[in-house]
Amino acid sequence: MTVAELSGAGTASRALAERFAGRAFLACAIVATATAIAVVGVLGFETVLFFTEVSPARFFSEVAWTPFSEDPRFGVLPLLAATAQITVGAAVFAVLPGVMTAVYLQHYADARSARVVGTATSLLAGVPTVVYGYVALNFVTPALSNLWPEIEAFNGLSACLVVGLMILPTVVVLSRDALESVPASLMEAGLALGATRDRVVVRVLIPAASRGIVGSVVLAMARAAGETMIVTLAAGNQARLTWNPLEGLRTLTAFIAQSSLGDAPSGTLNYRAFFAVGAVLFVVTYVMYAVGRRLLSRRSRDGAR
Amino acid sequence: MGTLRRHGPIGAVCGLAAAAVLAAFLLLIAILLAEAWPVLDPGFLVDAPSRFADRAGVGPALAGTLWISFLTAAIAFPTGLGTAVYLEEYAPRTRMTGAIESTIANLAGVPAVVYGVVGLALFARGLGLGASILAGGCTLAALALPTVIVASRSAIRAVPKGLRIAAYGLGATRWQVIRHQILPAAAPGVLTGCCLALTRAMGEAAPLLVIGAAAFITFAPGAPGDPLTSLPTQVFAWTARSQEDFAALAAGACVALLLVLLAINLVALAVRHRLRGVKR
Repeated sequence: MTVAELSGAGTASRALAERFAGRAFLACAIVATATAIAVVGVLGFETVLFFTEVSPARFFSEVAWTPFSEDPRFGVLPLLAATAQITVGAAVFAVLPGVMTAVYLQHYADARSARVVGTATSLLAGVPTVVYGYVALNFVTPALSNLWPEIEAFNGLSACLVVGLMILPTVVVLSRDALESVPASLMEAGLALGATRDRVVVRVLIPAASRGIVGSVVLAMARAAGETMIVTLAAGNQARLTWNPLEGLRTLTAFIAQSSLGDAPSGTLNYRAFFAVGAVLFVVTYVMYAVGRRLLSRRSRDGAR
Repeated sequence: MGTLRRHGPIGAVCGLAAAAVLAAFLLLIAILLAEAWPVLDPGFLVDAPSRFADRAGVGPALAGTLWISFLTAAIAFPTGLGTAVYLEEYAPRTRMTGAIESTIANLAGVPAVVYGVVGLALFARGLGLGASILAGGCTLAALALPTVIVASRSAIRAVPKGLRIAAYGLGATRWQVIRHQILPAAAPGVLTGCCLALTRAMGEAAPLLVIGAAAFITFAPGAPGDPLTSLPTQVFAWTARSQEDFAALAAGACVALLLVLLAINLVALAVRHRLRGVKR
């Protein structure tokens, strides 16, 4: 006899509810797992089909991406390089202000300014990226053209600046978490030894949180690499290798979003190219995200070492 | 200067950085409101897009966004919460479970546009839904699912162990413990996570563009099978037209989108407040 049976009234219906609940939760978990498998499966399947027509060696070594021309070339390097440039550029603009804001919020701000800045940060995090894209194209690029008249209407610099603004809240919030998890006794000990607050923060607290701060930057860069609407609107759609931030370029994400995918017939090489590019993007961001999460997780920080 | 005297130069510089973040946020809002001001009137929220900028509105896009978010929530919330309960309360602690858990957590970091590509193959083409509201809802539900699961799991894990042990000790069955102890205690955290996942999904333009959202829908969608349109894709369409009049419309659509997201957050905040009040 089970406990449910011993307890008497409504035994049969209770046992039924028990079994039904268990099955229902299992069904949810199966749907979620199936979704995860489907995401990876669909990307992988179409990408393998793509590689039967375009060899991986050509895909990763050619420097021209012209899928719609008469003699189509599928060299992913220009797209990959553009994504790397935007990601690094955004990090250049976001890391220092982001980490400094986190330090301010955690170690210097009084309760009221911390609340005001914290609220602004979380609201900033909730702004959809297409809104940032609108601002990049209509305000940041015109402002930059006052400084550099030769700047192109679509350019990497504007995209980097605005993607940097977009990932700023990620850096602030996660770096602050990392700083928060440093024991308060370290600050007290430092101050008690007669060090100034500045000195304790720079010499003790930031180094103690450095692993988590690096993790927050990696996660923010993963977001920048996957960002689509800002680069689509502001950086343009010319796939080319360039080091000039005033010129336009085309990222992995912008190619996917811009080529009016809804119309490409299933099964064509062009259709499969989207999946191959999507798979590259998936692998890059998945790895960055996993690394960032590992750096941030408390267990691995307090564990073995 | 007060900060400098109290904290020293590092604190002052960090304070400047924080002030810059605050200023950037205020500037962003000011730009949007100033640009959108000419087009913001009650008619803007119901009128359809038009070739003539002065007659255009976001009516269909707004209706599309509300439809899509309803579908996203209806699919992703129960599935995500159910998965979280299963993983925390039922699943055996095996290597397999661990692998599933970490895969789902990492999927939360996969870019939205990738979900668009998968949604195109799976829902729009595979299930034959085409570029419809339903295909968009399914795609955004897949996008929101990992976030819902991760947030719900941590909310469930934060429920005090004693609550669980006491209930089991009194002879409650597993479902009784979940229903009467764990879910009520975890509800505020679950709600916060669901709200975050939903508002993030609602702001996504990229996956819907990939599925084939139309820029020019002149009637409000009334059923899940109707053509896909939404506020974010409308912002994109108007911004990409790069004419002065349409830039104002794009700003107006941005403001409308932000207001919808703000409204959802406020509702969630109120509900969370009630939940806390009822509990304690």
